[in-house]
Order: sequence, then structure tokens, then C-alpha cells
Amino acid sequence: MAQRKTRKRYIMSRHEEIFKTVESLRWNLGDRLHDDAVEAIYAEAARISARSVTVAGEAKRPTFDQTLDRLVTNRWMGIPMMVLILAIVFWITIEGANIPSAFLASILLDAFHPALKQFGDNVLMPWWLSGLLFDGIYLAMAWVVSVMLPPMAIFFPLFTLAEDFGYLPRVAFNLDSLFRKAGAHGKQALTMAMGYGCNAAAIISTRIIDSPRERLIAILTNNFAICNGRWPTQILIATIFVGSLAPAAFSGLVSSLTVVAVVMIGVLTTFVVSWGLSKTILKGEASFFSLELPPYRPPRIWQTIYTSVIDRTLIVLWRAVVWAVPAGAVIWLVSNIHVGQESLAEHAVRFLDPVGLAVGLNGVILLAYIIAIPANEIVIPTVLMLTVLVARMAGVGVGAGVMFELDSELATAQVLKAGGWTLLTGINLMLFSLLHNPCSTTLYTIYKETGSAKWTTLSAMIPLALAFLVCFAVTAGWKIFG
Amino acid sequence: MNVSWEIIVLILALIAVMVLVPRSDFLARWRGSHRDEPRILREDALKHIHHCEYSGVPCTLDSLAGALGLDRNRTANLLDELVGRKLIAYNGMQLSLTESGRNYALSVVRVHRLWERYLADETAVEELRWHEEAEKQEHRLSAEDAESLSRRLGHPLYDPHGDPIPSQGGVVPEPKGKPLQAFGQGEVVRIVHVEDEPASVYAQLVEAGLFPGTTIKIAGSGPEKIIVVKEGKSIGLTMNLSANLTAVRVPPAQFKKEQRTLASLDLGVSGVVSRISPACRGLQRRRLMDLGIVPGTVIEAEMKAVGGDPTAYLIRGAIVALRRDQARLVYLEEERATS
Repeated sequence: MAQRKTRKRYIMSRHEEIFKTVESLRWNLGDRLHDDAVEAIYAEAARISARSVTVAGEAKRPTFDQTLDRLVTNRWMGIPMMVLILAIVFWITIEGANIPSAFLASILLDAFHPALKQFGDNVLMPWWLSGLLFDGIYLAMAWVVSVMLPPMAIFFPLFTLAEDFGYLPRVAFNLDSLFRKAGAHGKQALTMAMGYGCNAAAIISTRIIDSPRERLIAILTNNFAICNGRWPTQILIATIFVGSLAPAAFSGLVSSLTVVAVVMIGVLTTFVVSWGLSKTILKGEASFFSLELPPYRPPRIWQTIYTSVIDRTLIVLWRAVVWAVPAGAVIWLVSNIHVGQESLAEHAVRFLDPVGLAVGLNGVILLAYIIAIPANEIVIPTVLMLTVLVARMAGVGVGAGVMFELDSELATAQVLKAGGWTLLTGINLMLFSLLHNPCSTTLYTIYKETGSAKWTTLSAMIPLALAFLVCFAVTAGWKIFG
Repeated sequence: MNVSWEIIVLILALIAVMVLVPRSDFLARWRGSHRDEPRILREDALKHIHHCEYSGVPCTLDSLAGALGLDRNRTANLLDELVGRKLIAYNGMQLSLTESGRNYALSVVRVHRLWERYLADETAVEELRWHEEAEKQEHRLSAEDAESLSRRLGHPLYDPHGDPIPSQGGVVPEPKGKPLQAFGQGEVVRIVHVEDEPASVYAQLVEAGLFPGTTIKIAGSGPEKIIVVKEGKSIGLTMNLSANLTAVRVPPAQFKKEQRTLASLDLGVSGVVSRISPACRGLQRRRLMDLGIVPGTVIEAEMKAVGGDPTAYLIRGAIVALRRDQARLVYLEEERATS
């Protein structure tokens, strides 16, 4: 027994001795252990490759790549070329999406929706059930699909093709000096461009930025690139309220210039907010810049279409549809549940009106932005439905809680002006649509990507606060100078 | 109706401010107002005495009062308390740590230096705020926290100023190197330690680009000024600056390896990497090495972006763009690459 105890004590003292030795030896190791390990790995890799890899011919870059790169980074040619290529991509997207969009709308909205309603009547479904299911949920879903799917299915493959060819990294390369001044990464140019298609997809695409700080900046500011759900709003309002001020011959041009101005305000806001973020809350986040410029290669067309449709379009569309279901239900319910003489929607609009009017909007617009948060595509239909509901206009629209759009801009203008809209309302709506919080699909994606409630909250609150602030300032200025 | 809206808006604005500026000076000062807590004072006192012992300077009641910013009465009370806790002992007029006092002091110093290393490696918090942040953090983290932080950082040996981080068992090596004034003209030395207090002197050293690990040549040494050469530029250091630098002698060949940087490479020309600057730390350093930028790598400048920055480099068969600020941190051998 006693012997065992001494033995144990002996082992303990040996342990301590060894630990002491280890601790004193650590200091001889030096502080460059990581560096040394990486250097040794590269030295070993270089030795192995030198022994076993033979390179046929010259190891230089292909002259084709060099020539193209010289052209792309040319002081005079680089930027105009980029603008031209992006303009072509956007033009194909907008023009090309019209046809399938109209086709989908004619099937899902014009043919299938009445058929469903008819079916409800045939099986003696109570009016509220058929209203909730078909006018609320189905319609919101169908609307999102028909407006969202075609532009994404065109834009994303085109974008991915340019990426696959190797052109997009060069764009980031050229624009980096601009973004560097705002504390951001050149690749943010690409995620911004992606945002003009869909902010949710753009948030996923910020994965290409490997530096934590710059990636967060790209995520938090992506909202200021107007997505394809907001383009129609911008174009419609610009046409109705601004274009109509100009002589008929120029009204088209004036409306287009207005939309371009809104986009430019968005770009400017992106830079200002990026700069502000990098100087304040993101100041301490680790940051690193590197940008690989892969060799040019012929794009793999089928593979690209497949991956961009599966990875980008369908995932985003699925998330939007999932969010559209509750939104459709809410939109229908608030318009049809009555408290006292009025529906919930009317109560809410009355409640929101003071705030809305203070920032040059109105209660209808604010309510529409709250209940249509799943997708910007359904904001205008909801606005129209609510305007008609609140103003109790007879003969317009299809009933309480049923979203609709009017065939002509003139008819839309009449409804909106009857709802009390002015030029100021129009301008503020365009600004609000540009700056306000991202849709819930995007917010959900931000939460998935950052895994943080804090960044998700901030990415909703910063734009929202900015939107209210800007609209308020514009309204105040308008009242003072107008 | 209107009043309630104003209240709601005000509350929202307040929340926004709280979320947006969590590190503002106002809040920091409010948080820092608990500094008078007895435990924090005790720990700061032990740290000061340890610092004196380590650097071989006598430590007295007056020096401690000065370091803590207390009057003599309160300092005396504090010392009595420390003696009562058997953490320190009087040695004539001088103060010294007992065994348990030394272990306590080392555990506080360990957290301080680990935290500075963490800020340097894993965040973009600027150099001048490292010390201040670590001063707060050293009183908050437990020994277990410190151990897990150390593990996360890969068990670093030195803090970013070149001070050794005491090991878990409280082992600290003897200080190495000599003050810069001890070296003569023409000698090539490597800085091993930069004292971070007082902050104004440290700010000037950071501004001059002098970090632990920087190699410099002493070009001139006079009674008032030392002139050193770094990356081909002369820097004049007054005595209060050079007194805060400790250095060791290195072979003169080292100096030649740190005179040219990647940023000076002309398009179409290649160079051989000699070293990554010690100013490049943590994530920055790891990523550069991951790209294959290690001593001996041949790099060719390929093209510049439309605005002239960044520049694309051919590194091990891949084209990688780096910004000028990064290229400045990669040293090249003086002679051109032959291949």
C-alpha cells in the first residue's frame, strides 16, 4: 500500500516535470509556427509538382486572354464596354420577360382563378372559405409566380453565363477602386447587379465575398438595388405622375429618365451607407481583399442554365411562394373582417394615415407595404384594392380582399387620384419603394446567410429608417418651397 | 393621437441609436465608470508591481500611486489590503509579489496580452485601441475563458507589441533584446518589442511603421536622435521614441530582403517574395499565404484595373488581384527573378 502511494507520488512529480519542460520549451518554438507550416507545405508541394508534372510548351497565359484583358481593363474602353453589356442583359430581361409573364398571368390569373371560384360555387363552398383560399391565398401565390418567375429565369442564366465566361470578375476588378473608397469590396458590384434581379438571390450571391466585413456591407446595402418586383412600381408611378407633366411627345422619355434617376439615387445611397457602415458598426470586423481573375473559357451553356434555374430561381421562388401564402390570407382577411361598420383594413388605414401623410404618403400605402411584405410584386395590386375599398369606389376592382391591376395606366391614375394621390405622393412612393425594408423572403435569406438576428434586424431597420427620413425630408421641403 | 405617435417614433429612434452605436464613447465611459471597484484596483496594483519586477525597476508606494492615479492614502490602504491577503510583501521600502500574488498578476497579464493578440489577429480594431480594450477585458475573463481564447488563437507566444503571453502555468521567459540606443551606427537590427504606453508615443511609432518584427538599419546615432532606415526611407527617432523600442541584432543580409515591396513591381516584371511584413497579421496574413505568397514564390505583375488600383498578379499560375495597400506588405528579394 505504502509502496503504491510512493509510486503514485513519483508519477505525479514526473508529470509536473514534463509539463514544466513543455512550457519552457514552447518559447523556443517561435511565434512563426503557422507561417513555417504553410511555407513547408508549399515547398513540399512545389517539390512534388516539379518532379512529376511536365508542362507542354510555354507556361505563359494564352495570348487571347491577355489581349481580352488588355481591352477590358483599357482606360477608355473598359467602363463603356461594361455599361453596354449590362444594359444589354437588362434589356433582354425586361423585354423578354413580358411575353412569358403575360402568358402565365393569362393562365394563372385570368383563366385558372375564375375556374377555381366556379369550382367553389359548384361544391357549395361557403363564400368566406372560397374567398380566403382562392381570392386571398391562391391569388397572392399566382401573382408572385407570374411576375417573378420569367425575369428571374432570364436574368439569372444570362448573369451566370457572363460569370462563367470570366467577364464578371473583371468588372469587379475595374470597379474595386470605387468600392474601396466606400469601405466595400469590388465584388459588391456583382451582388448589386444581381440585386436588380432579385435581392434574395443577391444575398445568396454575397458568398463570393470572402471577407466578413465587406460581405456584411454587401448584405446590408443590397436592398438599395431595386429588384424586379419594384421595377414595375417605379415605371408605373413615374409614368402616371411624372411623365404626364411633360408634353405628350416627351412623356415616355421623361418617365424613363425619372426611373434612371431613382436607380442612381439607389447607387449613391449604397455607397453612402456602405461607407457609413464601414466607419461605424462594422469598423472592428476583420477584413481582407483578394479577387481571383479566372482564365476566360467558353461558357457551359446547359450546365449554367440548369444550375442557375435550380440554385437561384427555384429556391428564391419557393421561398417567395411560402411567404405569399400567409400574406394572401392576411390581405383577404383584413379586408373582409369587420369590426363595427368598417373592415380591419379601413381601421388600420385610418390609424396609419397621420404617419403616412407626415411623410408624404398615406395610410393605404403603409398598410400595403406591411401586409405585402412577402413580395414587392403584390404591393401595387394591394394598393389598388385597398384604395378602392377605403374610398368605397363603385364599379372598380373585383371586391374586398381581391387584388387586381387595371389594364391601362390612365384607369390606374384615375383610381389613385381619386384616392387623394398627388405628385408628391408619387415621388415619395418611388423613394419609399427604393429605400424601404427588404421583403420577407430577402430577410429570411439574410437570416439564413448570416445566422444572426442582429444583422437581420439591422438590414430591415436601416433601410426603413432611411426611407421614412428621406420621405419626411422631401415632404417638409415640398411644403416649405412648394 | 399625435402625441402617442411622437412617443412611438422617439422610442424607435432611441432603440435605433442603441443598436447602431454600441461602442460609442458615451456608453463606453458610462460602462467604464465602475473602474473604482476594489477588485479592479487590486488587479491593477498587482499588474504594476509585476511589471516593475519583470523590467527590474524598483516599485514603491509612490510609483504605484502614480500608475493607478490614486492619492497616497488610498494607495496605502490598498497596499495594506494586499498584504493582508498575502499577495504582496514589503521589502524595505520596495514592494514585491508573493508566490500567489505573482500567479494572480500573471493570470491578469495573460488575459490582457491574449486579448490584444485577439484584437490584432481577428478584428480590424485599430492598434491605438488595443491596449485600452484589453485593460477592460483583463478584469472580465476567467482563466477558462483565457484558455479557450488561447486555443482559438493557436496558443500564441507573444502579444502584438512583442511582450510574452504568460502560459497557463505562469511561465514567462526572460526579456530579450536591448534598447535601440544600445546599438551602433550601421548595425542591422530587428525590433522585438514596442512599448504601448504612453499612447501618444506609441501612436508615433505606429505612424512610422515600426512593429515587432520590422528590420531596420541604424544610419546615425547621436545624443538627441537616432536615424534608422526602413524600406529605403530614413526615419528620425527622438530619444523618447527610441527608448520605447527594443531590438536584437540580425545578419545584415536580412536588411536587403525588406527594401522592395510588391507594390513597386512594374507591369510585366516578376519578383521573388522574401517575406510578408510583420504589420500584416491574422486573417490578412493567413489569406495571403493561402494564395501561395510565401518566401521564394515568383510573382509577376500582369495588369492594372481601370483606376490603377488594384493590380492583378500572376501567382503560381493563377491571376489574383491585390490592392496597393496589401501589395505594400509583401517584401521582395532585391535581385530580379531570373526565370
